[in-house]
Amino acid sequence: MFTTHTATLSTGPITYRKGGSGPALLHIHGTGGPNHSPVLDALARRHTVYHPVAPGWDGTPRHGAVRSVSDLADVYADFIRTVIGGPCDVIGVSFGGWVALWLAARHPDLVQQLVLEAPAGLRDPGTGGLPTDPQELHRQTYARPDRAPPPARSQDVYWANRRLRDELGAGISLDQPLLDSLPKITARTLVLFGVKDEISPPMPAAHRMRTGIPHVHMTYVYDAAHALEFDQPEKVGALIAAFLERGEGFLVRSAAAAG
Amino acid sequence: MKFCYFHLMPWTDLAEAPAQWPARNASFSPERGKELYDSYIDSMVFAEQCGFDWVGCNEHHFSPYGLMANCNLIGAALVHRTRDIKLAMLGNLVPLLNPVRVAEEYAMLDVMSGGRLVAGLIRGVPHEYIAYNVNADESRARLREAVSLIIKCWTEPEPFGWEGEFYQYPAISIWPRPWQRPHPPILMSASNEESAEFCGEFKAIMGLTLIADLAIARRSIDIYKRATAAQGFTPPPDYILCGYNTCIMDDDAEARETLAEGQRYFHRVLMSSIRDAQRLVITRSRYFGQEQVGETFVKRLVALKERTIEEQIEAGSVFCGSPDKVIAQMKRVQAELGNGMFNLNFKIGNIPDASVRRGMELFRDKVLPAVQDL
Repeated sequence: MFTTHTATLSTGPITYRKGGSGPALLHIHGTGGPNHSPVLDALARRHTVYHPVAPGWDGTPRHGAVRSVSDLADVYADFIRTVIGGPCDVIGVSFGGWVALWLAARHPDLVQQLVLEAPAGLRDPGTGGLPTDPQELHRQTYARPDRAPPPARSQDVYWANRRLRDELGAGISLDQPLLDSLPKITARTLVLFGVKDEISPPMPAAHRMRTGIPHVHMTYVYDAAHALEFDQPEKVGALIAAFLERGEGFLVRSAAAAG
Repeated sequence: MKFCYFHLMPWTDLAEAPAQWPARNASFSPERGKELYDSYIDSMVFAEQCGFDWVGCNEHHFSPYGLMANCNLIGAALVHRTRDIKLAMLGNLVPLLNPVRVAEEYAMLDVMSGGRLVAGLIRGVPHEYIAYNVNADESRARLREAVSLIIKCWTEPEPFGWEGEFYQYPAISIWPRPWQRPHPPILMSASNEESAEFCGEFKAIMGLTLIADLAIARRSIDIYKRATAAQGFTPPPDYILCGYNTCIMDDDAEARETLAEGQRYFHRVLMSSIRDAQRLVITRSRYFGQEQVGETFVKRLVALKERTIEEQIEAGSVFCGSPDKVIAQMKRVQAELGNGMFNLNFKIGNIPDASVRRGMELFRDKVLPAVQDL
């Protein structure tokens, strides 16, 4: 059961939802805004999941100090210190993965383990990105349209979120300063890509992370596109849970999983 | 026109048809088995000297129909006894196997042979699903995922995990990687409309076997071409491989007698229990997604069994006769199907190896010079 809360950070107010019990887990949403997936419910069975709304998204107040992706990462660092109260595991989805990478690079002391789902920020210019045509966007987002959730917000709010993302992202496909900073990430990292992802094409972004982040694992999820948590909720949920609970030991299939 | 010399490696010494499937192996003689392997592999090595472009073999289980539970072992035996000929594994039945192991063994063959592998990624005929206790309902979906995974194994230079419906691996990084870039050419079976569509989707070389009727084969080719066009790919003619039982002798009558004798053993002994097992799988599973495809498969087996040699030639389902007749038959089929490659099986049933060799010599000396520029 998730409940809605507000908190005041050094840069301004922030809204977040919280659910579950156990070690803290911060979930950073993507361009469109927070979407409550079945994966969040699954993770909440063993974690206290924090699911903030990035400042300015979904009509929430913008923080004047936030002008870039790395600025937004600093807001989440503030959230970890102020609301969660100490280091935690972090999941970043798509644009949220870009933010999470900056968070882990700039504040390695605050991120214990890092999961990146189809992260943005490291793709070649001219490849991938979010289509503007709604039908094409839907097609590229979901490999399993039968599992797509109903819209969580109006089109006006969605496009306002997207404009904000474009402003912070500044039209950058390959964030060179981030690429240079990847070696600073100390968190063990799991990178997930859908085999059919055209929005965040796995290559060469995945290789950039594999060579840049010191402790990283990469897994392809079959029959999934960009929205991993909706295309394959059970597999993605189980994979992330295994990684968060067992660290590198997730490579060794447990008897329960094998059965 | 290119040619593949294909071998099924049949067991030739049964007096009676096996009573049931799987065939009991009490009468298998290892010493005789060695003789057959030696002779068959010699024949495949000889194919290179006869001008064939590929030499091919495949995988079958639990039956005297073919002595290759793993055709990659035959491929490995051919690597150092051949120089330029492509080694066509036609192929590994990937839904039954560990796809990562398939990727590894194929990569080994490709590197050991200096890039001569043609990688058949095959669903397998229905009864093989009993042999390896795999749900035949899942065969198509397993094949789709396994092929995707195998391609990833071949092309991904960084370690990766795979979280799929049927296959899960936490970390993969195969050694060696294949010689050919981005990966060895892939061949898939396209003997019915479902599989032709699937094959085209992957832009694979299409393999047509058991052609009972040229019009049906033409339809599969058209479906394949439409599917490749949808992928923005126009397959060259040699991406269409048509399989033919072939008997070339010095005169027509000798060829027809030889083929008829070999086919009697093939249908009466080698295929009898297999047909029962295939019917069982087809009727008790959703191996074929569309019911009529399963019916077509059964009808085709029956048709191939009941036709005379003359009727088979007329239908365009075998090549048989003197070199001149076979040349004419090949030209007719090529004109109708537009294929750029034939897959020729000379060892049908228990046709003597000496007759097979004579046919290969006639192919080299008389047939190939007349058809290689088709």
